[in-house]
Amino acid sequence: MSSTNISSTLTSLQSTSKIYLDHNATTPLGEAARQALLNHIDEFGNPSSIHWAGRIPKMVLREARNAVAKSLNVQPLEIVFTGSASESNNLILKGVVDQLRAQGKASNTVPKILTSTVEHPSVLYTLEQIKGIEVLKVPVDRSGTLDMNFYSKALESKAVHLVSIMTANNETGSVFPIGKLGKMAHEGGALFHTDAVQALGKMELDLPRWNIDFASFSAHKFYCLKGVGVAYIKRGLELPSLIHGGGQERSRRAGTENVLGIATLGAMCGSLSAELVNEKSKYMQELRNHMESRIEKEIQGIDFHCRTQPRTPNTSHFSVQGINGESLLMALDLKGFAVSTGAACSGGSTEPSPVLLAMGFSKEEAQSSLRVSLGWRTTLEEIDRYVTVLGSTIRHLREVNL
Amino acid sequence: MKVLVAMSGGVDSSVAAALLVQQGHQVIGATMQVWDYCDLEAGSGSCCSSLDVDDARSVADRLNIPFYVINCEAQFKTSVIDPFVQSYLQGQTPVPCVNCNTFLKFDYLIKKMHELECDYLATGHYASIENSGETPTIITSEDSYKDQTYFLFTLQKSVLKHLMFPIGHLKKPQVRILAEEFGLINARKKDSTGICFVGKGDYAEFVSRHADPASLKPGLIRRHPEGEILGRHNGIHHFTYGQRRGLGMDYHETLFVLSTDPKTNTVWVGDEKFLYSKELSLKDCNWLDSLPLDEDVTVKIRYAHRGSKARIIEGSQVEGQGLGEKIKIMFHEPQRAVTPGQAAVFYRDRQLMGGGWIE
Repeated sequence: MSSTNISSTLTSLQSTSKIYLDHNATTPLGEAARQALLNHIDEFGNPSSIHWAGRIPKMVLREARNAVAKSLNVQPLEIVFTGSASESNNLILKGVVDQLRAQGKASNTVPKILTSTVEHPSVLYTLEQIKGIEVLKVPVDRSGTLDMNFYSKALESKAVHLVSIMTANNETGSVFPIGKLGKMAHEGGALFHTDAVQALGKMELDLPRWNIDFASFSAHKFYCLKGVGVAYIKRGLELPSLIHGGGQERSRRAGTENVLGIATLGAMCGSLSAELVNEKSKYMQELRNHMESRIEKEIQGIDFHCRTQPRTPNTSHFSVQGINGESLLMALDLKGFAVSTGAACSGGSTEPSPVLLAMGFSKEEAQSSLRVSLGWRTTLEEIDRYVTVLGSTIRHLREVNL
Repeated sequence: MKVLVAMSGGVDSSVAAALLVQQGHQVIGATMQVWDYCDLEAGSGSCCSSLDVDDARSVADRLNIPFYVINCEAQFKTSVIDPFVQSYLQGQTPVPCVNCNTFLKFDYLIKKMHELECDYLATGHYASIENSGETPTIITSEDSYKDQTYFLFTLQKSVLKHLMFPIGHLKKPQVRILAEEFGLINARKKDSTGICFVGKGDYAEFVSRHADPASLKPGLIRRHPEGEILGRHNGIHHFTYGQRRGLGMDYHETLFVLSTDPKTNTVWVGDEKFLYSKELSLKDCNWLDSLPLDEDVTVKIRYAHRGSKARIIEGSQVEGQGLGEKIKIMFHEPQRAVTPGQAAVFYRDRQLMGGGWIE
């Protein structure tokens, strides 16, 4: 056996073309984002510097903030850049609780938070970590409907301090009636936060119309770089910092800003308009619906989820009878398709998604579920190829499992 | 050919994967997750712990092959961990690696192999496949010290044509040299020892933690054959046949564990001479080839055993299948500590013939 440098003899990865259908997990760079990144890639200066090196980076931040605010119809002052939507959620949830305690509002009473059973872990798990609060969870059923009776009843006593309900669910795509929920929250004397991560780029967003106080967004879910999140904090509301240090973000979030990441977000939001987002939504919806109808026609034993309720235009979630979801995911990956399952990741294992279980899906359904999420640039050809391969792969897996 | 390689993160399975890539096969790496890593504090050194998964993944990245962590927790619990605990509670000494091979590596992973449209399943076992005859046979590896065919006796004949053991023709030092040459991160990693899921504690502590507390009963230590009570113990699962130390007693003779009785929770100890026997009964046997009834065969009664010659003295030939599930053998020489729960594995020269469980 001669001395071998294996990398020089490696056969490259199977040259199958790759098709990405997991946009709810993350997205490729949009055209405007890519341009902004390349344009600013040598702007290395610290925005806080007084000298020439900080000038353009500071301008980039300002313009990005203006663009983000405009796309949400809010004030630039109300936008805080964070490192991720998870950080935004932490900032808002922990900040509100700290503020309540500081203001003495909850000095005799325990801060009461009303949320849903299907929130992202950065909301649910964060709430679990905050000591000395009471958390109520509104159930969501398997059709994706939030239990409005539970919600209104919980607010009746006017004892809830903060409501946190996501705008759209990342797994099933279910969209919740945020305007209504926000109004009811205020009538019940509570502040309202929404994790709107899955909404940006998929629907029109006009935050003031929604009666909300706080919102979280993620750049990398909207064709921008990773490492940037947004916390919308309504003017007049005070929120203690999560990350202390220098005075960045008007002392609301310390840490030298991710200028390049923020530049990409600014560019994408700057290119956003109601017309554009509606056009893209319609486009994705048509493709998604075409995909679902082909699947229904061509593949047996598929149960689609949450289609009777509003959902994001790009998401399709369904369970496949007679197969193991993990195997399906691997088989599809080997053929070049990137999709997701109804399972979260914990300690390396694939546990069934707690969100799906909370919605009433069985462990088997959760473990044999697939989530397909389209993007602005997904093509009909990609969808058609996917459905064809999905069919043959499922048939093969079912044969092996007989 | 498309090959699914079971990678533990150790150097053996990593070199196996590297060799296959070098040979031009389309390789897919997979690690079985058999335990929730948050539970186990052990780092590496106990087989599939999460640091080991990272090593396997690093090797896969280096080889530029797809890599998956396959969840087998439920199967591992029912097929390996639960029987392991039960075995100790019954006063036996189990070999969990065999169950892992039987139900996971060469059953669950074989299914995955089919599901992913692969032609072969490869592992880093020290074993070889010979394809000279009609059906493939398993023979011992070149490295007789590291040979792992003992753990493969339950393999089904139908599976053999799908198996590859890429390092079976190598000795351990050669494997490590190759790992260095391939630039693999775990070239110098220590071999994992002991039971992979037991981690830091010992097996008795593991059994204590995972058994129904009602089944962990204290009992008496008695001397064979007189029955004299010598002391007390905290559970028969602390003892294994042939054990000398750890009896928790002060006695002027050197005493060995001769048997443990789950019905009375008694541990029987006695003189070393009682540890020897010539006859052996086996159950749940699996045969990869037909065993001659009138010839000597070599039998290993535990992994570290060198193998001794024996003859089959009782056992019926099942029509079309060769020997049946239950047989009795007689060794030419008395064997020390034939332990219930261990496996007796049969060889004809270097060929693995099959084996069964010691009753």
